Amino acid sequence: MSQSLRPYLQCVRSSLTAALTLSNFASQTAERHNVPEIEAQSSPEVLLTPLTIARNENERVLIEPSINSVRISIKIKQADEIEHILVHKFTRFLTQRAESFFILRRKPIKGYDITFLITNFHTEEMLKHKLVDFIIQFMEEVDKEISEMKLFFD
Amino acid sequence: MSIIQQHTSATLSDAWRTINIDALTEDSSLNFDTSTLHPPQPEISEAEVRQLAGQVRQLLRGGDPEGALRGCLETPVYNGEDAAKDAHMQTIIEVLQSIKASDMSPLLKSIYGTEGGSECLDVLMKYIYKGMAAVHPGNASRSPTKDASQGFSQVGGRPGANEPATAAMSVLLSWHEKVVEVAGLGCIGRTMTDCRRV
Amino acid sequence: MLLLDYQNVLIQSVLTERFSGAPPASIDQTVSDFDGVTFHISTPETKTQILLSIQIRCFQDLVQYGAEEVLQREYGQYVAPVEPGFDFSVMVDLENIPETKEERDALALKFALLKRNAMAAPFEQAYQEHYQLREEASKFTSEEAPQGVQEGGQVKAIHYREEEAIYLKASHDRVTVIFSTVFREETDRVFGKVFIQEFVDARRRAIQNAPQVLFRNDPPLELQDVPGVRNTGTGEIGYVTFVLFPRHLTPQRMADVISHIQTFRDYFHYHIKASKAYIHSRMRKRTADFLQVLRRARPENEEKERKTASGRTFKVQGN
Repeated sequence: MSQSLRPYLQCVRSSLTAALTLSNFASQTAERHNVPEIEAQSSPEVLLTPLTIARNENERVLIEPSINSVRISIKIKQADEIEHILVHKFTRFLTQRAESFFILRRKPIKGYDITFLITNFHTEEMLKHKLVDFIIQFMEEVDKEISEMKLFFD
Repeated sequence: MSIIQQHTSATLSDAWRTINIDALTEDSSLNFDTSTLHPPQPEISEAEVRQLAGQVRQLLRGGDPEGALRGCLETPVYNGEDAAKDAHMQTIIEVLQSIKASDMSPLLKSIYGTEGGSECLDVLMKYIYKGMAAVHPGNASRSPTKDASQGFSQVGGRPGANEPATAAMSVLLSWHEKVVEVAGLGCIGRTMTDCRRV
Repeated sequence: MLLLDYQNVLIQSVLTERFSGAPPASIDQTVSDFDGVTFHISTPETKTQILLSIQIRCFQDLVQYGAEEVLQREYGQYVAPVEPGFDFSVMVDLENIPETKEERDALALKFALLKRNAMAAPFEQAYQEHYQLREEASKFTSEEAPQGVQEGGQVKAIHYREEEAIYLKASHDRVTVIFSTVFREETDRVFGKVFIQEFVDARRRAIQNAPQVLFRNDPPLELQDVPGVRNTGTGEIGYVTFVLFPRHLTPQRMADVISHIQTFRDYFHYHIKASKAYIHSRMRKRTADFLQVLRRARPENEEKERKTASGRTFKVQGN
């Protein structure tokens, strides 16, 4: 693992662990509804300060926490045209399978390549540290996969 | 006159559909005043920030990095113009960059041990995140495909090899790691939940 | 790495089988080839007379550049009246074929090369033009050569696909072959560029005497005055230029060079598609891996519930 990747992932890991403290919270605007507040943006007091973790201007993670949901957006490294295409294809492939990924958002946040949306229901039925592991492993493997695919081209 | 005739092109558009009518209700949750979540903060002007930066630099030159760091962390700019906030962040990043990696942990421990030290580290954490958020916006939106004009001339060029930014990031990342080591995850939690944003 | 054959394999196998002395049977097959070329192989009158017809989109272009002569030369005695709806026909009588197996196989191959031979006509003409121009140019020094000799021949355009064409231009020291090729999507364009880059690199690195290859998104200078060349400005159309130097232009090498260059487009697009398929399969595998990691996040008892509810069995991970 490269020199600067480890602290980057470590930073994402600790931030995520801290952010994934979610509780059930019913919507204040629509009765009998329970929506991810980070998506609804309807109650400013339950939205927390978003955190950005950056390795450089092309690789960064945005964590947007709220009381019952966390949005994690990842910008994957794209050094040139081919990597851009590969990242685009890969993330599209993944988001088309969002259904089976449970925590994958069907559309990335603007400026990022892929977004996860974790709600309190996910943390209730899945182990939190494993979810964090998943995100971290995802970030590692995506980079690896993209560079391997690119190597195949060369 | 019939109602239909009163429609103009402006009223015929469907822009009205996107109006959030909840926002127009006074006691809607949308209109929650987040400023009530914390006591009012003193406003700090850019001049004051600059003055503080001068003092901090003096401390740094005098070989007192701990004092320098404490100095700028004790007066976070919660309420002030963007210019003041940015200037203060620059000061802090400057201090962080001038401290050697081996000195980080002892220094943080010593700050943490003193009275009000944990608040200081919370503030430091806020600035670390702010620092990482601040670097890219300009060229991040530039898609690498857009400048692919003709032929191969630019194939070799790798955009994004912006060395200084990467170096600054890795300093912040290692500070982040050390702060979490010393002050724990609660530090990140407080950064998120505190509505006093730097 | 795969090199495509120049002949149509299906036709070759049908004919080889027929020629091998099998009992005559009636055939009626339509065979497709690259570039929208259609063959019709049939036995219209008797089972021993096999008629092979070809339809090429750009046959008019080819005729203009001497396809008739080339085909006459190649197929001579076998040329038959053109079948309606097609551009050219050859007929072979099973009662009147060569004796030995080698000769029969060669004949089958020759028929299977019908498309290649038809398409070769403009290339051959360009070669001839080049020889002629070289002859003339050798009479002058480079400064005083008359305009016509300097500039070379007319650009020959072969519109072999709906939106794509091959352009040929002969001059006294080279023959330039330009392919225009359409990239339907951005991905193809980028992948294509990587491949062409490889051609360029190969020349630089190892194979010094390979033809020079250029790639650009706007029409090259050679095509400036050619009607039908559009500059969409969107980068959708790529122009690949091969420059054949005198060492490629010897009469001995002509046949090989023509065959190779004809399959270029098919080869090129085949590789783009193969790469896409490869990448797709990788993504599929990687996605399955990710799902497995995510599944580990579910606590054990939950796992068992899922198993019974969906009726599927999951392999229990992690212990």
